[in-house]
Amino acid sequence: MQSKQYSIKVYECTIDDEERFISFFNKNYTLFKDHLIVINGYLSQNIKNYLNSKSLIFLNNIKLPKGRSRKALEEEFSVQKREHDIDKIIAQTELEKLSNRLQNNLSVIDQIVRSGRVIEIYGDLLLLNRVNSGATVYSSGNLIITELVEGSIRCDGNFMIIMASSKANVIFNGVEINSKFLEDRLNRVEIKGGEIVINPVFKKETSWVS
Amino acid sequence: MGIVIAVISGKGGVGKTTAVANLGLGVAMNGKRCAVVDFDIGQRNLDMILGLENRVVYDIVQVMDGEASLKQALIKSKVNDNLRFLAASQSKDKRVLNSKKVKKLVKELKDNFDYVILDSPAGIESGFEHTIEFADAAIIVVNPEVSSIRDADRAIGILDSKSQKVKDGGEVAKYLIINRIVPDMVQSGEMLKSDDILDILNIKLVGKVPEDNGVIDASNQGKPVILDKRSVAGQAYKRISARLCGKKIDMKDVEVSDSSIFKKLVGIFR
Repeated sequence: MQSKQYSIKVYECTIDDEERFISFFNKNYTLFKDHLIVINGYLSQNIKNYLNSKSLIFLNNIKLPKGRSRKALEEEFSVQKREHDIDKIIAQTELEKLSNRLQNNLSVIDQIVRSGRVIEIYGDLLLLNRVNSGATVYSSGNLIITELVEGSIRCDGNFMIIMASSKANVIFNGVEINSKFLEDRLNRVEIKGGEIVINPVFKKETSWVS
Repeated sequence: MGIVIAVISGKGGVGKTTAVANLGLGVAMNGKRCAVVDFDIGQRNLDMILGLENRVVYDIVQVMDGEASLKQALIKSKVNDNLRFLAASQSKDKRVLNSKKVKKLVKELKDNFDYVILDSPAGIESGFEHTIEFADAAIIVVNPEVSSIRDADRAIGILDSKSQKVKDGGEVAKYLIINRIVPDMVQSGEMLKSDDILDILNIKLVGKVPEDNGVIDASNQGKPVILDKRSVAGQAYKRISARLCGKKIDMKDVEVSDSSIFKKLVGIFR
């Protein structure tokens, strides 16, 4: 965006006597030729024609913002700036929260992670294959693994979704999670109110037709 | 132009060398010209299992160093004319291998045979890496137990990153042999099921070999078990060899042993 800011001078008047107005303008034309003419009240066709002939820019019945003292302006500006800053901080933290929860630098890997392989991801990781015994996966962000995990997992994100066998070694934000809680189903592991909460992703509840 | 198959396992003692001897002979029995090469420099075994230990004159290292020609060093099998054997060196160690020498040797073998089967050393060190480097396909031998599976998994990982074919943008075909299956233990849940192993390793199955006491005796005698028509392991190797030669043979479910069916029948009449 390109913008400019400048002040203009305004001549504001009400016309009672058209002849007097015209003669006044004729006399002082050089003085007013760069002004914006604002006429309050009735504006006759005659005057319009006259102003047009002098190629003056004019407006009828309009309220223009009036300038205020510099001090008042500065004060208002500082208030405005403070409010804007607060808005910005709020927006930023909201965004951070959102991006922390969803994705920052999402990596997608669709390879079987075999024994001895070490994967280190700075950001979120979506892993679409098995993590075999003896393999290591680290993610600084959130972690989703759709197949069985038998290796060791370290995740420092806000949540992870995994299914782990009893052989797996799972560390979430520095806390070792007993893989008993992660067996036989896909689990959602997350921090809620300073505690680690584990919930099954799909509840295996059969609803029978009654 | 033949195909080079590396037989690997990661863990030692799972039956790589036995598999190489039997598959080599099996492939030869199917009418293909086959060479089996012992890459386990410093610990050669294949010569004994093939019953050719007293015929070894030149070894693989001497061929690579140009002290002997390939033709001189290849030993003809006693039981099948199509099978040739190249022995490993027993006195040197695996440090004598280098990529250039291995490449030249593998190419020469490939030009002269339909099938070249390389017996990899156990472990994942340089000897193993040289074996897989120029292979077109790999047969992974595992036992149904966790340590063997994990080591095989590691070996497959290295195969997928270090073989020349992968570096050229291709893919090495990988086939699994599950060796030494004890049907009763699988039935009772004490032994890993084949499906679980396939889930973990995620490669194609080419055959299952049941545990067979005859294998040890056969190795000691230097007569591969595939020659024994009554041996269950020998029959399994026969089926695998035929599959390697492109024949369509249904998977026999070796996990259901005859004995367990017999037991069930006894149970009914009791």
